[in-house]
Amino acid sequence: LIENKWDNPMQFVLACVSYAVGLGNVWRFPYLCQMHGGGGFLIPYMLMLVLLGVPLFYMELAIGQKMRLGSIGAWRAISPYLGGVGMASVVTSMYLCLYYNVINAWSFWYLFHSFQSILPWAECPVNSNLTGPVEECERATPTQYFFYRETLDISGSIEENGGIHMGQALCLLLAWIIVYLFIIKGVKSTGKVVYFTATFPYLVLIIYLIRGVTLHGSINGVKYMFTPKMEQLAKPTTWINAATQIFFSLGLGFGSLIAFASYNQYNNNFEKQAIIVSMVNSGTSIFASIVTFSIYGFKATFNYESCLERVRLLLLNTFDLAEDTISLENVNHWIAELNRTHPEQFASLGGRLETCDLEAELDTAVEGTGLAFIVYSEAIKNMPVSQLWSVLYFIMLLLLGMGSMLGNVIAVITPLSDLKFISVLSYLVGLVCLFCLLLGLGFTTRSGNYWFTMFNDYGATFSLLFIVLIEVITVCYIYGIKRFEKDVEDMLGHRLNCYWKIMLAGVSPILLIALFIFYIVNYIQGGTPTYQAWNKELGKSVVTEYPPYAQAFIGLLLASSVCCIPLTALYTYCKKRNLASGKRERTVSTVSA
Amino acid sequence: MISYVFWGSLALSGIKEGMLVWILFLLCQVGAPALAQDLCQRDAPNGYKVRISLKTALGEDAYEWNQSEMFFFQATMAFAMRRHFQMETYNVDNIILCVQTSRVSFWFVVTSPDNTTMLIPKADVEKAVRMSRHRINNAFLLSDRTLEFLGIYPTLAAPVNPDTPPWLIVFGVVIGAVCVGIIALLISSLLQKRRKEKGMTEDGQDEEDMQVKGVENGINLDGTYNRGFTDDDRFTKL
Repeated sequence: LIENKWDNPMQFVLACVSYAVGLGNVWRFPYLCQMHGGGGFLIPYMLMLVLLGVPLFYMELAIGQKMRLGSIGAWRAISPYLGGVGMASVVTSMYLCLYYNVINAWSFWYLFHSFQSILPWAECPVNSNLTGPVEECERATPTQYFFYRETLDISGSIEENGGIHMGQALCLLLAWIIVYLFIIKGVKSTGKVVYFTATFPYLVLIIYLIRGVTLHGSINGVKYMFTPKMEQLAKPTTWINAATQIFFSLGLGFGSLIAFASYNQYNNNFEKQAIIVSMVNSGTSIFASIVTFSIYGFKATFNYESCLERVRLLLLNTFDLAEDTISLENVNHWIAELNRTHPEQFASLGGRLETCDLEAELDTAVEGTGLAFIVYSEAIKNMPVSQLWSVLYFIMLLLLGMGSMLGNVIAVITPLSDLKFISVLSYLVGLVCLFCLLLGLGFTTRSGNYWFTMFNDYGATFSLLFIVLIEVITVCYIYGIKRFEKDVEDMLGHRLNCYWKIMLAGVSPILLIALFIFYIVNYIQGGTPTYQAWNKELGKSVVTEYPPYAQAFIGLLLASSVCCIPLTALYTYCKKRNLASGKRERTVSTVSA
Repeated sequence: MISYVFWGSLALSGIKEGMLVWILFLLCQVGAPALAQDLCQRDAPNGYKVRISLKTALGEDAYEWNQSEMFFFQATMAFAMRRHFQMETYNVDNIILCVQTSRVSFWFVVTSPDNTTMLIPKADVEKAVRMSRHRINNAFLLSDRTLEFLGIYPTLAAPVNPDTPPWLIVFGVVIGAVCVGIIALLISSLLQKRRKEKGMTEDGQDEEDMQVKGVENGINLDGTYNRGFTDDDRFTKL
């Protein structure tokens, strides 16, 4: 689509920022930071950004801006045998489109439920005979109950299917209608939308930062996060996780960046923009993790103090002491005291006496949907004016998710519109959205969340590594780094400086190969793939193995995008041979005639 | 009352019998509290333990728990019994309190107004308390949580179920706005196309020119797209 262009370079930059800054910055990076030694994790993270992230980002933008086509056309143009790389990107993006919008549907669900005087996840609902809270909710927490029972109505395992959750289906419909609205006119409409989706989340993050650091106990969380545990740097998993995080956070390999860049003016200075977007993305991750950890600290302190309060009441009630004898500060002192003076009575307390530990509360590291929808909503319900904070938070999640969704859908639409199946853009967009909506309804069924997790864990991770590895090797060695240099000079006006050359031709491929090998080894060593199934009797998640047909489906997911590359190479090779042999036959016959 | 008994017994029998009855009566008066103590004790089968958390409920404004407050409690319980059984005979003396601690907690039992040695069964006391729980709480400025009758669980408030769940209302508003937005966009692009077409035909330009200009997706180009300068040879040849 040559005619469709960004109104100005700012729109392009904001679109890239909106795409790259997504939910992963909010819910995966803080988790990694916590797991791998707090402040110390920033070292491998920054290193991987410089060695892997920025050069690959630069390369994708260069390709898109040069070829001015979507991923299929662009890769076919670079090397006809490896046109399959573009196809694999589109397939992976399609998988992402299918399941990613379900997160937006959940965000809508929570957002709409925030407009109540008491947040529905603040308290357990009463059971039918009005004697107490619902059992499942008692065993778990109200926030978990709300997420697993009322939002998802989750079944016990991936095998138990159920009906479609009407509320979820409606929210998914709304999410797709909004995506349609944003892309209806191609980048003309997307360009205007990204002004909002890229900037508003920062406003909310700043507000949350101010709210977060003023909460009681938030300093515990921030201190916990930033205390570097340098011994974590010795473990290889730290470095590998840093590399994977940079990789997926920037959204490399989906074809979205190529698609975005294809709408650029030919001489747009993408070099500066690549550096800016990568830095903004990483900066946002760190900023978001400060916010997350201050909220964590608040929640951990709140839970710790509630625990102390419960122990205090238990002691007061069992030993019938006056109310002001035990305060929150001297609970532990009194436990020792009472154990000494009334040992039999103390022993009768038995299991009811909880041990309250602030470190243990902080240690409960959670990532992904668990962090965003369970932990955060638990923290929000304890804040004053919780409805306001809830609304703000879920609007932010929505904007982050929508921004990434735009990139995903454009990655699919751009190559399709290049192929010119349907000439009118709004019809093509409508068709793609409708198709994804209908298939996405499968994720709103009772076992839908398990399929969602499967897609999330396997749909894009392995295939992306493979795709980007082939991309780098293609550009540097098959297309040739010299030709690439010339193209870049043509667009930008100056040569590639040696940083880009060394990274693209040397360091990045080596790192990618190492990552790729690690993934395969990890997958093989991991045994049967497992997932977390929600057990309603116990009120917690249990690790369960995938049934054979689900494992086969995982294999299908991985293979379907990866095999596009060899299959297309084979097809092109056969076509070329047929063409060549056909030409030869014709020449022979003319001569003989 | 003592004087009536005294004069009555004196009148009924001789002075000696009268003295005997008088001594027995005195013993009863002394023994009555002892008997009451037997009725009310820790873990009494027909008694309830009450636990009051004044500082939690009222903080700075907490009043002191003293004998007058205990008397008030007896009066409130007698009121609750009267209300439940609809008998005006219950009195403060029918509520016996014991095992007071500094927590503040104590046990109480309820005796029948007709026979002070007979206790009202636990179930009836529970019903009486449930019926007047709200009044008892308010009398002491406390709540279900801070004035606990151990063993009598407060009935939780029935959940408010509105006809349309509130989230559906918000959802309806948002989806309505979005649909209006889409329809507005489609109509405006349609109007724009029709206006441009009308403008073109009025100028007298022929349709071939429009095709050359490549009117794709309803977006008109500003200039003429000269295909002569398409860089086809930048693409790698097969």
